[in-house]
Amino acid sequence: MSAAAASAQAIRKQFGATTALDGVDFDVMPSEIHALVGENGAGKSTLVRILAGVYRPDEGRVAINGKNCHFSSPHDAIAAGIVTIPQELRLVPALSIAENLALGDLPVRHLCGLLPVVDRARMRADARSQLARFDFSADPDQPIGHLGFAEQQIIAIAKALRRHCRVLILDEPTAALENREIARLFAVLARLKDEGTAIIYVSHRLEEIVALADRCTVLRDGRVAALARRGEFNAADLVNAMTGHAAQELHLTPTAPGPVLIEDAEPRVDAIRLRAGEVIGLAGLLGSGAERVLARLFGTARAASVVRVTDKDLRLKSPIAAIDAGIGMVPGARRLGLVMNLSVRDNILLASLGHLRRAGWLDYRTGDRLVTELMDLLDIRPRRPHLKASALSGGNQQKVVLAKWLARRAKVLLLNEPTQGIDVAAKAQIHALLRDFATRGGGVLLNSSDLSELARLCDAVLALRQGRVAARIDRSDGLSEERVHAAIVT
Amino acid sequence: MKPADQDKQTNWAAQAPLITLVVLCVLTAMMTDRFLSPLNLTNILVQSSIMAVIAMGMTFVIVGGGFDLSVGSTVALAGCVAGMVMLQFGILAGVLAGIAAGALVGLANGLVIARLGVNPFITTLGTMVLVRGVVFLITGGAPVSGEFGLPSAFIAFGSARLFGVHDLVWVPALLLIALSALLHFTPYGRRIYATGGGREAAYLSGIPVTRIIASTYVWCGALAGIAGVMLAARLQSGQPTAGEFYELTAIAAVVLGGASLQGGEGTLYKSLIGVLIMIVLGNGLNLLNVDSYWQRVAVGAVIIAAAAADRLRSRP
Repeated sequence: MSAAAASAQAIRKQFGATTALDGVDFDVMPSEIHALVGENGAGKSTLVRILAGVYRPDEGRVAINGKNCHFSSPHDAIAAGIVTIPQELRLVPALSIAENLALGDLPVRHLCGLLPVVDRARMRADARSQLARFDFSADPDQPIGHLGFAEQQIIAIAKALRRHCRVLILDEPTAALENREIARLFAVLARLKDEGTAIIYVSHRLEEIVALADRCTVLRDGRVAALARRGEFNAADLVNAMTGHAAQELHLTPTAPGPVLIEDAEPRVDAIRLRAGEVIGLAGLLGSGAERVLARLFGTARAASVVRVTDKDLRLKSPIAAIDAGIGMVPGARRLGLVMNLSVRDNILLASLGHLRRAGWLDYRTGDRLVTELMDLLDIRPRRPHLKASALSGGNQQKVVLAKWLARRAKVLLLNEPTQGIDVAAKAQIHALLRDFATRGGGVLLNSSDLSELARLCDAVLALRQGRVAARIDRSDGLSEERVHAAIVT
Repeated sequence: MKPADQDKQTNWAAQAPLITLVVLCVLTAMMTDRFLSPLNLTNILVQSSIMAVIAMGMTFVIVGGGFDLSVGSTVALAGCVAGMVMLQFGILAGVLAGIAAGALVGLANGLVIARLGVNPFITTLGTMVLVRGVVFLITGGAPVSGEFGLPSAFIAFGSARLFGVHDLVWVPALLLIALSALLHFTPYGRRIYATGGGREAAYLSGIPVTRIIASTYVWCGALAGIAGVMLAARLQSGQPTAGEFYELTAIAAVVLGGASLQGGEGTLYKSLIGVLIMIVLGNGLNLLNVDSYWQRVAVGAVIIAAAAADRLRSRP
């Protein structure tokens, strides 16, 4: 048996009093995709960062190609051929594709044999040949900022592969991608794998891992909870291993839809009507207009439109008008949902400050009671209202955003990718909360690129294509992931 | 990191400005015998009082995520306008006119920055120069004191005491209580913190961020106006050249007090500690007979060290 491309043995890592990793073994072979899953805080990022030289393990050893290594910085790891593609790509938007690819290692020619200048012709030619490897034909002079996220990611991978790359680490590569783009990324990964690259793949999307990974390691509380080969596991097994208990099916109690809460007052091709008790999903490829629908209903679209909210026609020109009408928005990026350096309490009360005014002063007593109730109801951990929002995990941050709108007694929730990058347990809790919110007479409209989530959670899904509602699939007509997928691609 | 450790660390970091001030005072007291004399301590408080009022206004702006370089010029404008109006219409009218002039400069800053979205650094750099020009235009470059000086009751305010404490010191003390209550216990105050900490998130939570940001500049201008009137009382005249470099001292003091230039963090009380650090440092160097050129070097170094310490502390 050949040596592992990278291996970690009996790794222990402690941060303060918390043990992040407690005797973890992990290895990845050449030409193998090894997936790494676990809930937030299970130790995935710590392990990946140790392999990438960001952290040094307290105990245990890291070996590359069978040789022991002691990385003292990420540079050492890169020199050893370990390359990480982080979630946030490190590209310069204003520079061209060719420049980004060559950055840090620009080809130089000498003008008159003396003055060094950038050899742009060679830079462009290099860029073309690198992109050809990925069947990606784009103008190398195009600024990166003009590309979509998926294309930028391919550029980032291409850039990483300029250097000698033995092990490629991908951290949540598909979090911001749609199915079509995911397929393209997978094709790239398959090719790299054939060329002998070892790939470590960190993701929350379990279906993806079942389809893609040769092996999968599940971490729980800093230990390896399971290690399985392709074909020996399915998504449910992974959830069991991650959480330590069997996955719960979402309890769907279909309630008779109540009165219309919100609808477009003007006829439009992407008109929405949401009733009390309904959870409606928006599905569509990037640019299909699903996010525009949410922006329009929350008053953040460029052109204000007339929306009928509980039988009153309103021209929503700003979020203030929408919020006053009982609408709440959970944006796609968490930093848009929360003020990160404010406390959890301040964030929960953020939209309700005006209602908590008593003779000009903020009524903290009522506010604190509300915060305590909501933190219990939503199981926001830790139960420390004065902790900064930035200190919470992604799932708990998202619950704080929801708590903000529950505090405000919103009747309509608009959500954009509410469970992106959130671990399985928190995801299930958020789904249950949304169902519960609808059962109590609220209306939920959510946009998600996770079609299985929409199929599980929603009463109906609207498929959007090029800015129009192409189809409506109700649960009673047999709502399923496959049908939604078929409806959004032409 | 364990929650308890984290709390401990933040608590310690939160008290860093106060610890710095105490250490500075102890060191200065050990190295000079005059530092603790009642006269010197009074002197420090009176010197701090005017800067303290400016720094409070600066705290509003910095917490709101902005920046104001125009406060020094505003101090001069307010002093001169107060003097000119006072000579014509009496003390009260003069004081109010001075403060209103400051608030007006703040409003102009606020509208340009919040409405038009112009960078605060550039905007207030512009108003800093513009307002100074206006001061010279309306005064002709000469101090404002009239033929027989400013009203004596006004000048008395610059040196009188109430309960043994200088009137000038009462102003920031009372403002500190009132404005801290405003920042921490009213919806308006919390909205300033939210807007500074995350403008987009605040906007999406229904906070009128444009108005909030503009209002912080009005506070800053009005408080600089109050400081200008105080300075005029102390100098017994409106001085067109007054207040130069005050903006830098004020910003340095607020940052020394632990406010973040990213916005959303900072408190009035800590900004005042920052002011005291700046003044005690200057006072100590004076008592030690350090060359005034070297004093500038030392003050500059302290500002950079404070900002660097803040970065190190907030690094994840």
